[in-house]
Amino acid sequence: MRIWVTGIGVVSPLGRGAGVTMDRLVAGDRAFGELGLFPVADMRVRIAAEVHGLTADLVAPAGEAEGWSRTDAMSVLAVREALGQAGLDPRAKPVDLILGGTTAGMFETEDTLAWLSREPSAITPFKKMLSHPLSSTADHVHEAAGPFRRTRSLCSACSSGANALLLGAAWLRAGLSDCVIAGGADGLCRLTYTGFAALSAVDANPCRPFDRRRAGLNLGEGAGFLVIEPERTARARGARPIAELRGWSVGAEAHHITNPEGTGRAAARVMRAALARAGIGPADLDYVNAHGTATPLNDSMEAAALREALGAEVDRVPVSSCKGQIGHTLGAAGGIEAAISAMAIDRGVLPPTIGLEEVDPACRLVHVTEARSAKLRAVMSNSFGFGGTDTVLVFAAPGHFPDPEAAPRRSVVLTGAATVGALGVCGTAASGAYLDPGPAPAEGPVAFQPADHLELSRARRLDRAGRLTTVAIQAALREGGLDLAAPGVAETTGALVGASFGSVDASTAFMRRIYDKGAKYASPADFPNLVPSSPVGHASIYLGLRGPVFAMADLGATAESTIESAIELVLVGEADAMVAGSVEEASPMIERCLGPICTGIEHRGVRAEGASAVLVEAEDAARARGGRPLARVVWWGSWRGDRPDGLAEAPPPPAAGEAWVLVGRDDERLRALVARSSWAAAPQHALAPRSGDHAGAGGCAVAAAVSALAAGRIRGALVVGGAPDRTYALLLEAASAVAGG
Amino acid sequence: MDASELRQQLKELMVSELNLEGKAPSDIDDAAPLFGEGLGLDSLDALQLAMSVEERFGVRIPEGDEARPIFASVNSLVEHIAKAQAAA
Repeated sequence: MRIWVTGIGVVSPLGRGAGVTMDRLVAGDRAFGELGLFPVADMRVRIAAEVHGLTADLVAPAGEAEGWSRTDAMSVLAVREALGQAGLDPRAKPVDLILGGTTAGMFETEDTLAWLSREPSAITPFKKMLSHPLSSTADHVHEAAGPFRRTRSLCSACSSGANALLLGAAWLRAGLSDCVIAGGADGLCRLTYTGFAALSAVDANPCRPFDRRRAGLNLGEGAGFLVIEPERTARARGARPIAELRGWSVGAEAHHITNPEGTGRAAARVMRAALARAGIGPADLDYVNAHGTATPLNDSMEAAALREALGAEVDRVPVSSCKGQIGHTLGAAGGIEAAISAMAIDRGVLPPTIGLEEVDPACRLVHVTEARSAKLRAVMSNSFGFGGTDTVLVFAAPGHFPDPEAAPRRSVVLTGAATVGALGVCGTAASGAYLDPGPAPAEGPVAFQPADHLELSRARRLDRAGRLTTVAIQAALREGGLDLAAPGVAETTGALVGASFGSVDASTAFMRRIYDKGAKYASPADFPNLVPSSPVGHASIYLGLRGPVFAMADLGATAESTIESAIELVLVGEADAMVAGSVEEASPMIERCLGPICTGIEHRGVRAEGASAVLVEAEDAARARGGRPLARVVWWGSWRGDRPDGLAEAPPPPAAGEAWVLVGRDDERLRALVARSSWAAAPQHALAPRSGDHAGAGGCAVAAAVSALAAGRIRGALVVGGAPDRTYALLLEAASAVAGG
Repeated sequence: MDASELRQQLKELMVSELNLEGKAPSDIDDAAPLFGEGLGLDSLDALQLAMSVEERFGVRIPEGDEARPIFASVNSLVEHIAKAQAAA
């Protein structure tokens, strides 16, 4: 099945629009200037590549701009452009949205957080804080440019946009969608601006990718989205292909939270895998759009990786980085650079690396320093993020290469579960206790001794969310008997863990320090922990997970979102095993300013802390290693908006034996949904009264379902979860109910 | 502030700022290398330590290659701070 790119939308510091951005890139223009968005009084670095004159009220509904962000505005404009070019109206045809990012509404909320931290008595629910969660951008794009059928929000730091496209490609290949719009968006904010400066990663002057004198990156901002569709359905509706998205791969370096793995071996592995997925070799490649940040460590690592992955062809294939013109747009970069790669093929042009004058001997490649025409058969786009998530996409000229084989859909099973909460650190069996009658958990932090579970000398950089995440993943792997040290296992095992709000308290402390003491006292060690993907990134480094690793967020349905996405990645073979779940650390700031507006008024459970993780595996891989499937994934789905018959397609409960409906947090809407389904008569259990009301409650429900299925208490379980305007459903059966296992 | 007091304060700062879990200030060897071998610190720790030293002692540590001999050990760092403070 060929995947066509049929629409592109870009908002960049060089202009609003994909076409104008590409024109100016090819012309060699640079977008750097004195930063005007916020004051940088005491900083050595004063420049950025800013999108000028853009505010949230450009796209927000009348009177709502206070809760919308500049990131939202850039996303909405880019998504509208891409849908327009593709000739798509999402009201007429189902379109799915996947959005990668890191900062969302940080710019709009960071000063409020710092102020709140000085006024401990202030508890006003700030409408403004609605733009803070990572998922708020997808929610607002859904509202202003949708509606979309499904939405997902993910973060892998600077490879976020590329991973959004990767998940979209996996959906198309698995037949889970006929049309996806995916990409990334990030607006500039004080937090990233001071954070990268604290890491000494920023050049005070316009940057010089691959140059001997390169001294760091410049920050930029923007959004880049691509519409991707299977050729068959795109052709049927008369769409034109701009390029094909042919290959993709994601892998974690499991090396260091900020520094790339210097030899480039990890990145080279991902490049080779992306070419293999594309069904082409280095000899077919005519251009590489490099990550090329202009930091000393990235560029030499990337050059080494290209040398290893492309072999002798590296001396033929032209390479360039657009970061010398638009800066590093962080979570947007993977989306914008995917757009540039596709446009390079369509226009037959190689965009240049501006700022490169004297090539570093450690970065010896075929550099393009002036744009030139070239017929491009295939193009590789590299994205590398904090925490070491490397993602590579491969685009090709439409129809040039043979039709790639369709993906066999694999049977997906769950082989382990773990929870960290009121009942302690529980494995599969013990997690079932959340289904039994018992007291409500205590409010606030759970009693959890990291030293009982982690080597603290190796875990010293992990904050509380990182430790909860790592312990939950470690326990799920142990429960499933998956040994990462066995040959080839680490490379095919990944993790998706998210938090609904991210590290609000740590971001607050970081910002307050900057306001109180000045930007030069921003903490370099704390900064990387503020990225939403930090907990799962740390877990990957600590445990040695080298498969797909990123964070996702979807308010109170964050765990449901990671678990379903993990199932989807395993289904099409992006990984053999994925640990998926969510973590929510006790957060006074969330309780003060987000709790009252986001959790509603229903009392569903005590606000508590918790983490959950389940081990999702391809059944063939699990059995081949001697693992024991505990539950089989029979059906799953997710959707935006109200669909009273959303469970109509869900198979009925198994004919023999008990079957239960499990929900993380009880909710009228979910009850009504189940009441209209073939599961209406099944006993229902809500987890939050026992596990606490937090973003991990849905993950606890899945863990408890696995526990009850493994123990033979039930033969089937329907887990439903949701948050405002979104629903997830997952149907599990005892693994032995279908096959002989 | 005499040298031994400065040394003690620096070690306390290192334990708290670098999250040296399970380590007491007295566990840090005065002469052992801070980075790579020895304490096993890395470039991110160096940045954090430089920032904290400036905040706590008002002494700036230069960036890049000039920082290398200063960050060699607790001894060399104490020496740099004491010299800079005396000059101020």
